[in-house]
Amino acid sequence: MAGSVVRHKPIVVTGAGVVCAIGNCKGQVAEALRSCRSGISTVEYLDTSHKEFPVGEVRMTNTEMRAAAGIAPGEVANRSSLMAVIAAGEALAQAGLACIPEGVRVGLVTGTTVGGMDMSERHYRSFKDSDEHAAYIATHDCGSTNELIADRFPGLEMVTTVSTACSSAANAVMLGANLIDAGMADVMVVGGTECLTRFHLNGFKSLMILDREPCRPFDISRAGLNLGEGAAYLVIETEESARRRGVPVVCRLSGWGNACDAFHQTATSADGEGAYLSMKAALESAGLQPSDIDYINAHGTSTPNNDESEAVAVERLFAGCMPAISSTKSYTGHTTSASGAIESVICLLALEGGFMPANLNLTQPLDRGIRPVMPDAAGNAPSANLKNILCNSFGFGGNDSSLIFSRFDD
Amino acid sequence: MSIQRPLSDSWLDSPVDYPHDGGCQAAIDPDFKAFLAPMEARRMGRLLKRAVAVSDTVLAEASVSDPDAILTATGLGCVENTEAFLNALCEEGEDVMMPTAFMQSTHNTIGSLLAIRRKCHGYNSTYAHKGVSFESAVLDAVVQLRLGAVSNALVGAFDEMTPTYFGFLAKTGFVGQPGMVRASDSAVAMVLSAVPAEKALCELMDVRLMYRPAAGKVASYIMGQEGVDAIVAGINGSEKNDKIYEEIASATCLPVMGYKHLFGENYGASAAGVYAAVRCLHSGRFASLHAGEMALPEIRSVAVVNHDGRSVSVVKLGSLC
Repeated sequence: MAGSVVRHKPIVVTGAGVVCAIGNCKGQVAEALRSCRSGISTVEYLDTSHKEFPVGEVRMTNTEMRAAAGIAPGEVANRSSLMAVIAAGEALAQAGLACIPEGVRVGLVTGTTVGGMDMSERHYRSFKDSDEHAAYIATHDCGSTNELIADRFPGLEMVTTVSTACSSAANAVMLGANLIDAGMADVMVVGGTECLTRFHLNGFKSLMILDREPCRPFDISRAGLNLGEGAAYLVIETEESARRRGVPVVCRLSGWGNACDAFHQTATSADGEGAYLSMKAALESAGLQPSDIDYINAHGTSTPNNDESEAVAVERLFAGCMPAISSTKSYTGHTTSASGAIESVICLLALEGGFMPANLNLTQPLDRGIRPVMPDAAGNAPSANLKNILCNSFGFGGNDSSLIFSRFDD
Repeated sequence: MSIQRPLSDSWLDSPVDYPHDGGCQAAIDPDFKAFLAPMEARRMGRLLKRAVAVSDTVLAEASVSDPDAILTATGLGCVENTEAFLNALCEEGEDVMMPTAFMQSTHNTIGSLLAIRRKCHGYNSTYAHKGVSFESAVLDAVVQLRLGAVSNALVGAFDEMTPTYFGFLAKTGFVGQPGMVRASDSAVAMVLSAVPAEKALCELMDVRLMYRPAAGKVASYIMGQEGVDAIVAGINGSEKNDKIYEEIASATCLPVMGYKHLFGENYGASAAGVYAAVRCLHSGRFASLHAGEMALPEIRSVAVVNHDGRSVSVVKLGSLC
């Protein structure tokens, strides 16, 4: 593939924000990861009859989110947009862009698939018969949901939306990085958002890949995933731009890769070809060797198919220098379109905090030579001095993407 | 594929005319047997069939079998499947078991299918941003072509308008108002290449997405660095939507042509606008886009401008003839 050997400008992360089942900001999420506390539990917020499936819900009602995001009760919003406004707000504030100044070309790329489906499934009948909830028709789709987010941050020059299912957010990060690299934007706010809906809970149930127990990524007894929800954003720019604006750098976004498994609409290939190619492309774009990677934040959905295929791909690429690996979906649930961004923020927190998130609920890892991270003797995340982290996001249809975050040594 | 004759440029000379009555018009489909075996076709909705047929056609025309990247644009994805699942969920409750409908309701089903059929392991992404989804996909392709990350890309826009969704969108004013062009379907694909090929149809000079821009800002970009001779605008007969085109026209003093009177309105319509502009530049014939009385100057470059709500897109194209 032609995509692999391009050298890019040094791109850095200057802001990050997150909302998910284990916390409504970076500090809470870091604390949960350090103490190995999962956010997966019985359904409480989603209006569904399927209480038998555990989920990773954000511990706020829509009303509480409105208050946190500063959105008045009468204003049109859906749950995905509310979570995103909170997360993007945290990221922009850290990057010194709470108000976007004139003369800085700032763009927003959001990954989402569910969009405004939470309101559509609630009001679908009335969409047909009355005008009562017509305002929610205009915010049903992914792009309109993203515009609800964009309008909270005046001064954005461009806004667009990626929708590649479970790799949406990672691909949003990638477009942002490429736009900066090509000199077509100064700063990009990139990430993803996805709230739980009956629509996709029942969809995943139809595919028979939901577990009734808390998920067990990479365990031989794993039997499916738990859905989760949340949003996360990164603020990225060139090193030079960060210096010029006088904002501290969090870490480098040193590499990114995207490849297609081109195998099946929902299943992954036995040899993990797409995953292998996306990880390889990310390493090459970062100018790193497999042995440079200290830790992999896996896609690790906990379905029999994904984890086996991902482990095979990891084994193919990292044979002889296997890094530590864990899936933080055992804390957050599978946050689908948002997962690439939420897990990117988790990687940043691990780099910054000097720890590796442990893989929960693991008793016997699948036999693929992988080295899963286990809690330490005190039941906490083990300390680790990390330099380079690989973060995987794989979507339906084999849309596979990998990002690499590296410590910023001034 | 659109409401004009499928896989044909006959609209250049003899377009199919539709009244501006704000109605809904399904695309004219070709015979899919030429593209898909019956067994394969049976599992696909009409949008997937169109995506396969139009992509296969342009890849053959460009002599590219394995594109370096596949960029898909779809505002709503396979709406038929989404509606089937949503209807079952609302009418029958949460005992619904429809794996295929759910699977095909995700927007990236289209781009994945194109990759699976051709075993394309290259870069693959999907954009879903209303009326500027296609320009988002073009932007991704252009950025990667400029960076040298890919040497060519298949870029396509695929959207369908079901009767139910037409009813919904009519309530928002996007379509279905008196005096508006018809709501329609789009399946448009093209191959972008960094290497000037002999068969190249035109040059893609630049692409820009703008959020809530003032008309003056759009105008100065159109007139900027690489100026153009004319504007091809997404005029659809809605006063609210078309106002910005008038403002851009008066700020730039450029002739303005349209394309939605030929291809209708939907989230993929601007891809039909780019396609039409490419064909007109290549043939040097703009009559079908130009409804006005005023004689057109010689046109060697155009800016295709589309406006949907808060977003404006501009694609600049130049003649190679």
